[in-house]
Order: sequence, then C-alpha cells, then structure tokens
Amino acid sequence: MSEAMVEVRAVHKSYNGIEVLRGVDLTVARGEVTCLIGPSGSGKSTLLRCINHLEKHDAGELRVDGDLVGYEMRGGKLHERNDKQICAERARIGMVFQRFNLFQHLTVLENITIGQIKVKGVSPEAAKSKARELLARVGLENKESQYPSQISGGQQQRVAIARALAMEPKLMLFDEPTSALDPELVGEVLDVMKDLARSGMTMVVVTHEMNFAKEVANTVYFLDAGVIEESGDPREVLTAPKSERLRSFLSKVL
Amino acid sequence: MTMNGDAVKVVPVRHYGRWVAAGFALLIVAMLIHTLFSKLPTGHFACQVVNGVRKCHPDLTWRFSWTIVGQYFTTSEILHGLVRTLELTIFAMVVGIVLGMTLAIMRLSPNRVLSTAAWTYTWFFRGTPVLVQLLVWYNIAILYPVLSIGIPFTPSSWALVHITTTTLFSAFAAAVIAFGLNEAAYMSEIARAGLIAVDEGQVEAAISLGMTRRQSLRYVVLPQAMRVIVPPTGNEVISMLKTTSLAGFVGVVELLGAASNIYGGNYEIMPLLIVASLWYLIVTTILSIGQFYLERHFAKGALRSPPPTPTQRLRRDVRGILRKFRTQRGPLEAVR
Repeated sequence: MSEAMVEVRAVHKSYNGIEVLRGVDLTVARGEVTCLIGPSGSGKSTLLRCINHLEKHDAGELRVDGDLVGYEMRGGKLHERNDKQICAERARIGMVFQRFNLFQHLTVLENITIGQIKVKGVSPEAAKSKARELLARVGLENKESQYPSQISGGQQQRVAIARALAMEPKLMLFDEPTSALDPELVGEVLDVMKDLARSGMTMVVVTHEMNFAKEVANTVYFLDAGVIEESGDPREVLTAPKSERLRSFLSKVL
Repeated sequence: MTMNGDAVKVVPVRHYGRWVAAGFALLIVAMLIHTLFSKLPTGHFACQVVNGVRKCHPDLTWRFSWTIVGQYFTTSEILHGLVRTLELTIFAMVVGIVLGMTLAIMRLSPNRVLSTAAWTYTWFFRGTPVLVQLLVWYNIAILYPVLSIGIPFTPSSWALVHITTTTLFSAFAAAVIAFGLNEAAYMSEIARAGLIAVDEGQVEAAISLGMTRRQSLRYVVLPQAMRVIVPPTGNEVISMLKTTSLAGFVGVVELLGAASNIYGGNYEIMPLLIVASLWYLIVTTILSIGQFYLERHFAKGALRSPPPTPTQRLRRDVRGILRKFRTQRGPLEAVR
C-alpha cells in the first residue's frame, strides 16, 4: 500500500501518426491532488484519458493502485484485459468531463443511481439514499427530480461530480471541469472540488485555473508538446518558473 | 414608448395575401364536402350490364353511395380482413424493428465483416420491389422443396430434420417474412441515424462509470436514440399498414382483399373501396395519436418543457379566449 496511486512511466500515444504523448513520467501519491497544466494540444487530456483506459496508450507503463491499466503481465508480455476486467477497473476511477456529459434522459437523481444499480448491483433504495447524501454534499438537495437541461452548467457539473463519487472511487480524474462554464459559475464547482481534496480524495485535475492549482494542488505538472516540461510544488513552479516555455505560458493565462 | 403618458397602440401588419389564400382554401374544402354528399342527377344512375341483364345502382340518391358503404362497413368479412391486416402489420413490424436494430448495431460495429454484411443486406432488400420479394417468398418451395437442419456443406442425407417447405410457408407466413425482411432494411437506416445522433460524450460517461459496451447501449444510448427513432418509425408503421394490401397478390384475405372479394360478387366497386379506405384512415388516425404520446414519452429531458397534450392545449386556448373576452369588456374591469 506504500506505492503511489498513479504511476506513469515513459508513456507514448499517437493518433494517425501524430505523437501526442512522447514519453511521459508522472507519479500521484495517495490522497494528493495533482494538477496538469499546459497549452491546448499539449496532451494533458489524452494523458488523463489514458489513466482510465478511455484511450489506449501505445507504449510505456501505466499503473493505478499498483495494477497495470488495461493490461496484465503474463510470461513477459502485456496482454490486453477483456472488457469485463477493464470495466471493473474503470468503476473505481471517477471521471468528470469538460462538457459534463450527464445522461440527458435521466433525472438528476437517476444520473447518480444508475451506475450504482447497474454496475455495482446496489439496491435502488440504497442507491437513492446514497445519491441524496451526495446531492446534499454538493449543495443540490432540491434538484433531484430535474432533468440536466433544466439546471445551470455549474449545477450540472456538481451533479456529474456526485455521479462519479457514487461509485466510491479511489481516484478522481477531472478533465477541464470548469472550462465550459460561465465565469460566475466556476467558483461553485471549484468549491466542491476543494472540499473533496480536503476529505483526502486522490485527484488528477487538468485545469486552466492557476489559482486553484496554487491553493489546492500538492504537485503541478506542466505539459508541452507531449512531454513534461516542468513539475513540482505549485507555489514554486507557478511563481518562479524555470523553463522559458512555462514562463511564456503563464504570462498568457495569468 | 409613451406619448402624453399613454401607451402607444401597436398595429400589427395586415397579411392580405394570406387572407386571400386562406379564403381560397376554405372554398376548396367547401366544394369537397359538397361533392362528397351530393346526389346523382336523375337519369344518370350508375347502371351496368351483368350477364346480359341491365342492373342499376340500388342507391339512387348519394353520388358516393353512402347507404351501401354503411351496409358493408361492419360486415364480418370486412372485419376479418381488418384483423388480418392488423396482424400482418404487427408481425411484420416486429420482425422489421428487431432485425433493423440488430442490423444498425452491426453496421456501426468496428468489425468490418459485420458492418459490410449489414450494408449488403440493406442494399439488397431496399433495392428490389417489395412485391417481387413477396412473390419470391411465396414461391420459395420452387427453389427449396425441402428444408433440412444439419451441418453446412454436407450432403442433405446427413441432416437430422426435414420439413416440406410448403407446410412452413403459408401465404400469411410468406407475407410476414417478405414485409418484415423488407422493413428491416429501412428500419436499420432509421435506427442507425438515431444511434449516431447520441453524443459520444454520453458513451464515454457511461463507460467511465464502469458500464460495458452493451450496458451503455441499453441504458444510455438507446433510450436517447429513441427520440430520433420513434417519429420515422411511426411513419413506417403507417406505411406498412397500407403495404399489407399487397398480400392479396398471394391470396391472403386482408382488408382490401375482403373488399375486393365482395365487389367481385356484387360489382359495388366504389362503395367497397370507400369502406376499405375508411378503415385504413381510422387505423392510421389511432396510430398517429399513439405516436404523439410515444414521442412525448421519449422526449423526456431533451426539452425543458414537453409539448402540451391536445387536452392541455384546448384548456389553454379556452383560458386565453376567456381572458381576452374579459379584458375587452371595459377598461375599468381590465384594470381590476
């Protein structure tokens, strides 16, 4: 149990011959918050999606909680796991998307119960009471019978966080969770995330919110053109960047 | 904007062209109703020579012989034909929808063999007339007099079960198979459009909750695809209802077949065609109402507020008219 929650070693990934990740190394310790920053197209979202096997990496080693993601080692070769095993792994990794991706045909409550019922086999009553508990935690007790199209973007993203938490994940991945929100709604989502970080959840967050990174993250990684350009304590990395690239990136976003 | 403290009255644009067009449409409707219930001029009664005997129309009054229509409208022959038509429609649509969904999912499969097989099926069954397909299935015994269940590519003497094809393929069964397989080709395209219309992010969200491909299809993609699939499927049901009249070609006595059997005996061609048409219209109307509520059900979550049902709309309109009426009574009451 002493090992890290996420371990990424020399991971490569290319789409149609274009290398998006060119040998990335990254470690996320248990209970810590890691922020991935970088210009668009730098590969940070791809890296995040590789961690729960939404994308398959081409080369390198990627471990979550000590297990190789999507593969197992047998006889010196990596064998791709079957769908069932991959799904069981994914169920323990929560994911929050930039575009919320709430199930449009289900109410807020049903969005949070469906995974518990269909994947974990929880009884509908238990799933509902857990969902109500989580809705209270993200401050949306009175929205349970609304449909996603009837609530604001910030509220939708908070429901999406509750939906992921309902699966009792050991790791939460956030893919630019506030980028699609109106500026005045960003705060309510970040507050929920800060609260989650304080409760000891291991989190990997792709973000452009430098203040959030500074305040909450234990480690920040700066990706550029598919490699980690700089990493370390956010107060040092973000206030006194060593590389020229990070300096010019920060001058654009801050 | 105010003048001397009073609200300035707004005068909407008058659409004179529209009013003329609407008046013209009303005129045509009036003429149609008039001719439907007109009477034949004396001396022009429809008469025919049957077996050398001059036989005149017994319904001497209505041009559209409504009396005879009424007489045959609910005879047991017509009603039996109607039941056959409904059976054919239901069975053929069930085959079409189930097979069509399967073909659509195959078509979207990453496996090229599956997607090509589905494409070829659609190409073939959409590319030949449904009447030809019906005749082929009805006469399939010419090609395969005996059907056997056994191991592929081995002599038929090895097979375990033999069935004479004609016992399996009654006219009714041939019609269900022909219409169902033909429908599947169209349904597969409709279902595919529905599946494609669901945002990719929905699948990603389902998968990251730990759902399998099958679960995400069943619980997330299909329910949302239904919103796109239901309206054209309603069209297909209505179209199928009328296509089943082709089954008369292979001797299935459905609604039109029953009508033609009757007029073959008494030569009341027009009244019986009207009887059949009226029944088709009645069933189509019922199906359209069903479609409205089905669409409303599957629109859940897609619209901020669902469209009103006809009763809700009526109530709202009545309320609106009443309110207008009340405010017109006088400025004093309107202020109150």
